[in-house]
Amino acid sequence: MDHAKPTGGKIITPPILFLSLLFLIGFYFLVIRYIYGIGPVSNLSHHQAWGVWKVLGVLVGAALVNGGYVTAFVVYIMNKGEYHRFVRQAVLFSLLGYSFAGISLAYDTGRYIGLLNFFIPKYMQTNSVLFEVGICITAYIVILGIEILPAFLEKFMPEGKQQNWAGSLHAFLNKILFLTVAFGVLLPTMHQSGLGGLAFLFGQKLSPLWQTPLISLLYVISSIFMGFCVVIALECVTVADFKNKSYVNMLGTMMKMAFYVAILYVILRWIEVIRNGGAGLAAGFSFESGFFWLEWVLLLIGFYLIRNQKTRLSPRNLFLGSCFLLASGLLYRINTYIIGYESVPGLTYFPSLPELMISIGMFSLQIIIFITIIKIFPVITKE
Amino acid sequence: MEIKRRNFLKGLAGAGAGVAAAPLISGTALARESKKLQEDHVGMLYDNTRCVGCKSCEVACKRANNLPVELDASGIYDAPRDLSEKTMNIIKMYKDEEGQAYVKRQCMHCVDPSCVSGCPVSALNKEPNGIVTWDPDACCGCRYCQMNCPFNIPKFQYNDFYGRIVKCEMCINTNLPKQGQPACTEACPNDAVIFGKVTSLLDEAKRRIKQSPHIYVNQVYGEKEGGGTSVIYLSKVPFEKLGLPNLPDHSQASVSESIQHSLYQGLIAPIVIYAGLAAIAFKNRSGDKEE
Repeated sequence: MDHAKPTGGKIITPPILFLSLLFLIGFYFLVIRYIYGIGPVSNLSHHQAWGVWKVLGVLVGAALVNGGYVTAFVVYIMNKGEYHRFVRQAVLFSLLGYSFAGISLAYDTGRYIGLLNFFIPKYMQTNSVLFEVGICITAYIVILGIEILPAFLEKFMPEGKQQNWAGSLHAFLNKILFLTVAFGVLLPTMHQSGLGGLAFLFGQKLSPLWQTPLISLLYVISSIFMGFCVVIALECVTVADFKNKSYVNMLGTMMKMAFYVAILYVILRWIEVIRNGGAGLAAGFSFESGFFWLEWVLLLIGFYLIRNQKTRLSPRNLFLGSCFLLASGLLYRINTYIIGYESVPGLTYFPSLPELMISIGMFSLQIIIFITIIKIFPVITKE
Repeated sequence: MEIKRRNFLKGLAGAGAGVAAAPLISGTALARESKKLQEDHVGMLYDNTRCVGCKSCEVACKRANNLPVELDASGIYDAPRDLSEKTMNIIKMYKDEEGQAYVKRQCMHCVDPSCVSGCPVSALNKEPNGIVTWDPDACCGCRYCQMNCPFNIPKFQYNDFYGRIVKCEMCINTNLPKQGQPACTEACPNDAVIFGKVTSLLDEAKRRIKQSPHIYVNQVYGEKEGGGTSVIYLSKVPFEKLGLPNLPDHSQASVSESIQHSLYQGLIAPIVIYAGLAAIAFKNRSGDKEE
């Protein structure tokens, strides 16, 4: 039923070597972090306790890899089987992204062994949004693993009728697919809302340009249009099957869906900004308002690039349009947790070089693993 | 091939309904009120008309809780500038043309604390006597408490390979069981900070304002701010000049938990949505096979 094939080719290539170098630099600083603590390698402080590791690694990361969520929704809930070709690669990307989000917590949290307490009943704190996010993301990693498992099993299945263990497991997973997929849609909805909900407890420490009781909902909606954009951008980079007309049409349709969801996001966002008295701040000239408007400039450029059906079928506009929408959505998350967050007047935070290198290094490792897997296992569909 | 917009929005509405509706109904059905001050909650009253800025409380706090001194770069001056992982209690001074006023800063021991509400692993707890404590066995060091504390109180030992959260626990394991009160109130030579039941401290604060209204700002900070705190303040200058934030009368935790509870109460909403999604995916199964 699937025509996914390994892309083949050499495993070790110059880009892989370059990414490995970045990873090694990050790894070096990671060792220092574990010996001397968070302070010596980062610019985190008592007043800005969350920096790039959490904001890029978890918040932005979870949005960047949201393709598994939207493709599962389109294919299995909206019943658009033809979009199945996008599922595997999106799910694999999601699995890696979420796993690395989990790994990033192991170096971001100061008392990492305590992370196990998320799973010990006496320590579970069910009123906490962060607890909900942690549990949902862990569960989702398991679900993504189950969703991607068939791609690995196919490698071990013999041609012909003979069924081996891999074949029977493959068939079983197919049978319970509807149960897996329902989790694959429910869990991201839950934790994406939670990722926004975390910021609500900041109260007045978060600027009214971003603070709202509906922040959970805004995070879910933004994660949906970002999910589509990720699928499109990733396809443009890895598959780029642009001679195939139905393929381009499908990308265009997904772009259109992203467009509508993004419009819903814009409306809701502005209602909340005005309702919370942020309009005056937005009109004024400040560091925060500058970043606030940057979000909208990026979004408008994206909207312009994908303004009508014709532009939505141009590979160039598809790629750039999805990148601009993504950038706007990602900046929204960075703004909520870093730019708009002010615990003391005049707080400034910019990550230190080692801090950034750890994030970049781990991201490089993620790409290395992704590229290697699609070379060996049947993930990508290309006719 | 073309996905109908109507279908798409319909599906979206179905999956997102629970999430979308919950915050809107949170104001009514499952709203959780700010927690209330209890009779046996203990706390402190700090009155800056009585404080002379001698910092005896700082020294006593460090001594009782075994905290290191903070030296400056030359190693000569040993007074901390702000709360930190080495300092849980500090006296600061506000000064303008009209004069000066001191302020004592430490954990406020909120009646309905954000840190307790936000902590994912129950490391921060509100004890029956109202003291907010930290449990090293539970803590995972996520520092969400630092992010959400409206007073920026919890500090983390960033320069330790396995740091701890440091904040005032009203000497619950040190001076309080030994002397019956925290080290700072015991050390204060002028009774600028006193220890007791919060309810009686509130009465005392109001009595002082009534007795000499001309020297006090007519407000007991901490009576209502952020849903109330167990450490309350009297001042001769407006509180925002002392760095105490102007907070609403309800706790942020009460609104946050209202939203959270309406989404996840008894896990009903997630289970219903899951069942719906599974049913749709099951129904769509045959279509998927043809592909």
